Amino acid sequence: MNPVSKFNWPGWLAFSVLLLLWETASRALPGLRVYIPPISQILASLGQLLLSGAITNHLTVSLVRFVEGYLLAAAIAVSLGIILGYFHYLHSLLEMLIELLRPMPSVAIIPVAILTLGLGDSMIVAVTVYACLWPILINTIDGVRNIERTLVDTGRTFGLSAGRILWQIILPGASPYIVTGLRIGLSIALILVTTAEMVAGSKGLGFFILDEERSMNSSNMYAGIILVALLGYMLNRGFVLLERKTMKWRHGMIARGAR
Amino acid sequence: MRAVKLNGLMFMLGLFAVWELVAQAELINPLVVPPLSKILKIFFELLWSGQIPAQIVVSMKRALLGYFLAAAVFIPLGILMGLYQPVYRVCEVVVEMLRPVPPPVVIPVAMLFFGLGDEMKIFVIFFSCAWPILLNTIDGVRNLDWVLLNTARTFGLSPGKICWQVILPACSPQIITGLRVSLPIMLILVVISEMVGSTDGIGYFILDSQRRFRVAQMYAGMLSLAILGYALNQIFNLLHRRLLAWHWGMMTKME
Repeated sequence: MNPVSKFNWPGWLAFSVLLLLWETASRALPGLRVYIPPISQILASLGQLLLSGAITNHLTVSLVRFVEGYLLAAAIAVSLGIILGYFHYLHSLLEMLIELLRPMPSVAIIPVAILTLGLGDSMIVAVTVYACLWPILINTIDGVRNIERTLVDTGRTFGLSAGRILWQIILPGASPYIVTGLRIGLSIALILVTTAEMVAGSKGLGFFILDEERSMNSSNMYAGIILVALLGYMLNRGFVLLERKTMKWRHGMIARGAR
Repeated sequence: MRAVKLNGLMFMLGLFAVWELVAQAELINPLVVPPLSKILKIFFELLWSGQIPAQIVVSMKRALLGYFLAAAVFIPLGILMGLYQPVYRVCEVVVEMLRPVPPPVVIPVAMLFFGLGDEMKIFVIFFSCAWPILLNTIDGVRNLDWVLLNTARTFGLSPGKICWQVILPACSPQIITGLRVSLPIMLILVVISEMVGSTDGIGYFILDSQRRFRVAQMYAGMLSLAILGYALNQIFNLLHRRLLAWHWGMMTKME
């Protein structure tokens, strides 16, 4: 497949035509305007909200919750996953419990979190941690299990300490799987933060969007959605860039293997 | 293998026993963690009285409608986008613009258009299941063996027949992957949309129980949701094995 370096003219043309259609239809039909305000009006609202700082407050609140929940989940899940992947006995103990909890949609934990932690930040962070935990944990366990045993044994033969085996063999060996888990966790974290803010929040982008809908302020609502989508897009791009930088050695290895 | 399973089972039962004892002794607030026996008792009561099954039926009706609607729209679109590069180029930007929108954020939009009714949930599920189905179908069509297509053309099969007898079967493993990925998304989104704006359904049931401080009832609702998630997955696997028996046979032969 050829590299996608060329600018996608037809795609952007179709997109602009759609936007133009939206703009004219919404201007022509006042009945539609309540539901779909003109795109120019939405963008104006977004600019105004950003400049006046009315939305930046919600944005930072959501972002802080997101980062806290995501990093905490990553720290817990990766360390637990390495332990469970390495010690088969421990995994056999917990396997059934994990299989029991996993099929439950993670958002169902929100009411429990409200009950125990109230309606504050800690509830939203806890829910995010819980939901992000699963993909990262499962992938890390898989990754550690798929490391070639000879690598670890070689390390042992050369008398490496347990710490060095962990840092220099297990972590790099499992990292492709861990990265996959972290990537899945990224979008889940954003989903959970916005959901928890909708169900029980008085701050944050999720709350903002729902609140604007309830007060029939649809252009502000769409402005909030654009901001969340932008946030999701940038987080994803940032992750991919970071992955390319840190996992360079691996891309090199794959290319070499392919040749 | 069996010994390993036994290990896990014993550990879990031990954990449940500790939970029961701690809750019975009221070491932690019984309003937060009621004894397991009480949860199970209420679960079975609600099961027999038909209260939980009724909520699940309501939720599943919405969920499956949105899910099948997404499949009906986005599998054909994916095939078109995979086969014809111009179609792909035209749709690409719009898809890439919509994809990063986190699905729960669509709920307010759907509420604006459809109110709090069933259509709102169906639309939200439709939107969020769309992307995995679409992207996997495109991938499947792109990885199609062109010899298959050309052979079919040489034999003068009509486009309709090519689509039904060559493209769809050849891509079905990838399409199935998309459908499988969407299944938990469907369940999550029906629960979220019922929590945010609904007066019935299992998501509403759980949140409402919490608001009324009927904690055991809330846990019973969560338990039924876990069972539902497990059952959906099992049914999916069963259907997959039945409908795509040839694919399973091929995979085992290749090994």
